Amino acid sequence: MTDAYTNKLLMIDLSCSSLETLSVPDALKADFIGGKGFGAKLLYDKVPPGTDPLGKDNLLMFMTGPLTGTMAPAMRGCVVTKSPLTGIFLDSYFGGSFAPEIKYAGYDGIIIKGCAKTPVFIWINDDHVEIRDARHLWGTDTLKSNRLIKEELHDDTIKIANIGQAGENQVLFSLICCEYNRQAGRGGAGAVMGSKNLKAIAIKGSKPVNVHDPQRFINACATALKELENSPDIDSFRQAGTAASVEFANETGLLPHKNYQNGTFVKAAMLSDKGQSKHLWLGSNACMGCPIRCSKIGAVRTGKYKGFVTDIVEYESAALMGSNLDISDIRAVAYLVKLCDLYGIDSMSTGNIIGFAMEVCEKGLIPSPKSIDIKFGNVAAAEHLIHAIANRKGTLGKLLSKGVKQAAEEIGGIAKNIAMHTKGLESPAWGPRGVSGMGLALMTTDRGGCHQRGFPVSYELSGEWEGHPLDPLSPVGKAQMVIALQNYSAGTDTLVKCDFGSYGISDTTYAELLSAATGREVTADIFIKTGERIWNLVRHFNLAQGMDASKDTLPLRFINEPLPDGPAKGHRISKKDMTYMRQEYYKLRGWNEKGVPSKL
Amino acid sequence: MDLVGGYNPRRARLLILPKNENLYHIPVVCNQCENAYCMKVCPSKAIFRGDDSVVCIDPDKCIGCGLCAQYCPIGMIQLDADTQKAVKCELCQGEPLCVEACPTGALELVYKGKIND
Repeated sequence: MTDAYTNKLLMIDLSCSSLETLSVPDALKADFIGGKGFGAKLLYDKVPPGTDPLGKDNLLMFMTGPLTGTMAPAMRGCVVTKSPLTGIFLDSYFGGSFAPEIKYAGYDGIIIKGCAKTPVFIWINDDHVEIRDARHLWGTDTLKSNRLIKEELHDDTIKIANIGQAGENQVLFSLICCEYNRQAGRGGAGAVMGSKNLKAIAIKGSKPVNVHDPQRFINACATALKELENSPDIDSFRQAGTAASVEFANETGLLPHKNYQNGTFVKAAMLSDKGQSKHLWLGSNACMGCPIRCSKIGAVRTGKYKGFVTDIVEYESAALMGSNLDISDIRAVAYLVKLCDLYGIDSMSTGNIIGFAMEVCEKGLIPSPKSIDIKFGNVAAAEHLIHAIANRKGTLGKLLSKGVKQAAEEIGGIAKNIAMHTKGLESPAWGPRGVSGMGLALMTTDRGGCHQRGFPVSYELSGEWEGHPLDPLSPVGKAQMVIALQNYSAGTDTLVKCDFGSYGISDTTYAELLSAATGREVTADIFIKTGERIWNLVRHFNLAQGMDASKDTLPLRFINEPLPDGPAKGHRISKKDMTYMRQEYYKLRGWNEKGVPSKL
Repeated sequence: MDLVGGYNPRRARLLILPKNENLYHIPVVCNQCENAYCMKVCPSKAIFRGDDSVVCIDPDKCIGCGLCAQYCPIGMIQLDADTQKAVKCELCQGEPLCVEACPTGALELVYKGKIND
C-alpha cells in the first residue's frame, strides 16, 4: 500500500561506523503516528535511566512525520534526545528544508548512537550513506562549515544540519542549525551532537514522497490553504512573524525586562515589527512549501554592527536578548542573535543567562571581569559573554555555559532566587505572573521551561476557553485547558506540524490530510488521544530519569516577587495557587498526587 | 505531483534558487530558448521544437547521455532519477501543473507576443 511514510529508519552507530536500516513497525505508526511520537517511544524504549546525555548510549534522533515533505502546508521535523541541560526528554523542532530532505532520501528518521573517535560528518545521498572525516571542519561556525561541506561535495543544493563551536564545546544549551536561520534550538541537542563528534549531517534525496490517495490529498491541502488564508492569526504571522508579539507582551505585562524583574519595557516598539521593519527587513521568507512565510529576511546595513544578513528577530529572541537585557537597539539585538546562530547556541537560553549574569554582577554576587562591566543595557557585555560562553572561556564563560540552573547552584546564596528556569530549561519570554494558566503550562511542560507545548495566554486574556469563563489571575479552571492544549499540540507534533500553521488549519483538516496521505482512516480526536499517550509516556520517561513532582514548579521570582508593573501589577503565582493547579492537573490527567501516571 | 507520482521539489521542472542565506530566492524556469543549446548538443536528435515553440524531449530517442543538462545555461534539464532519461519543462501541454498547484498565484503561463485573457 502506498503511503506517505518511507517506512524506514536509518540507524547509524558512530562508535563502530556501522549502518542499519530498520523498518517502521505498524504498531509504532498506529500508536504514535510519527515525529514526536516516534521519538518519545524510541527514547523510552532505548535510553534507560541513568544514561549520560553526553555519552555514547544517548540517542540523537532526527524525526519526520507522515506529512513532512508532502504538499501539506506548514510542516516541520524534530530532534528528540535526552537533554544534557535538563536530564529529561527533549524534543526540538525545526522548519526549513532539512526534514523534507530526510524523507526524499528515503527515511522517516535518522537515529544516531555512539560516539566517533575523531570529528566526522555524515553524507546521505539516497541509499548512499557515508561517514566522512570532519577534522578540517572542527572549529568552524555553522555558516562556514555549511559552505565548506557544499564545496567539498560540489553541490549547493544539499541540505545540512550542523553544529557550531558551541556544540563542539558541549555548551549545554547549544543547538543544531538546520540551514538557514532554522534551528533545533532548545535544550542542548547541539551538545549531544558535539559529544558524538558529529559536526554535520548532509542530505540529498531524489525520491518522491507518495500519498495514498492523491486526489483526496490535494483536496485536503486546498482546504488547509483556505483555512490559512481565512485566519487573522495567520495574516498577522505573514505580515510580521512573531515580532508583533513584543508590543502585545508589553501591553499585557508579560514581557521580560531586566531578567524578568519587570513585565514591561518602555522601548518595546523599537524591538517589535515597527523597529524591525525599519531597520532590518527586506522581504519574506518561507520554510519549504509553506504559504505563511512568517520569516522576514533582511540585513543590518547601517550603524555599528552593519554588514550582515539577518532573519526576523522572532519574539523570543527580541525579548530575551533585547528587553530582558535592557537593550533597545534592534540592530544590536540582531547582531547578538546572529552571533548565537553562528556559534550554535540557543539565543533564548543565552539571553536568559546573560540577563541572570547582569543581575548577579549588578547585585555583587559575583564580580564582573576586569575588562568589562557586566550590567543591564551594555551591548558589549552581552557580546563578551556570548564569546565566553560559546568558547567556554574564562571563569564566567565556563560557569554560564552550564545553564542558568547549574550556574546559580555554583554561585550559591540568593542566586537561585533569580535563576529563571523550570527543570533546568531557561524560561521563555512569557513571564506568567499575569496569566496563571501559562504558569501551569511552564510548570508541567515535558521538556522544562517552554511555552510551546501549550500556550494558553491568548485564551486567558480573552477571558474565555471553549465557552468557560476564565480569570487570567485565578488558578481555577486552568488545568483542563492546559491539558487539552498540551495533548493536542503533542498529537499534531507527530505529523510534524508547525505551531503557527495550527493557528489556521483545523483538527478535522489535519485528520483528513493524515487519512489521505496514509490510507488509515482517522478522525480529529486522534490527535488528543495520541497526544495524551505521548504525554503519559514522556512523563514515565522523565520520572525514571530522576525527575519528581517537586520539579513541577516555577522560577522563584514568579512565586515570590509580585509583578511591579503592567495590568497584573502586584500579582504573583503563590505556592498555594501552584499547589491548587498542580493537583487539579494531576487529577485530570489521571496521575496520582505525586504526578505518576497509572497508565502507559 | 503527477509527473513522478509523488512530491519532491528536486524533481520539479522549475527551480527556486536560494541565495545569500535565503536573503533572496530566484525563480528559474526553462526559457524555451530560440537558440536552444540542448537541442543542438543532443546526439540522438531526441530534442525537438513542439507546439507554441516549446522545446520537448522524446523519451524514446533519449539515450540519457546528459549532454543537454551539461550545456543548458540555467540548469533546467535533469536526468530523471528513475528513468535516467533527460527531462525538462514542456509546459504540460499548455496546462502547467505548477501553475495549478501554486497556492499564491505567483506562477502564471504567458506567451511572448500573446495577450492572455
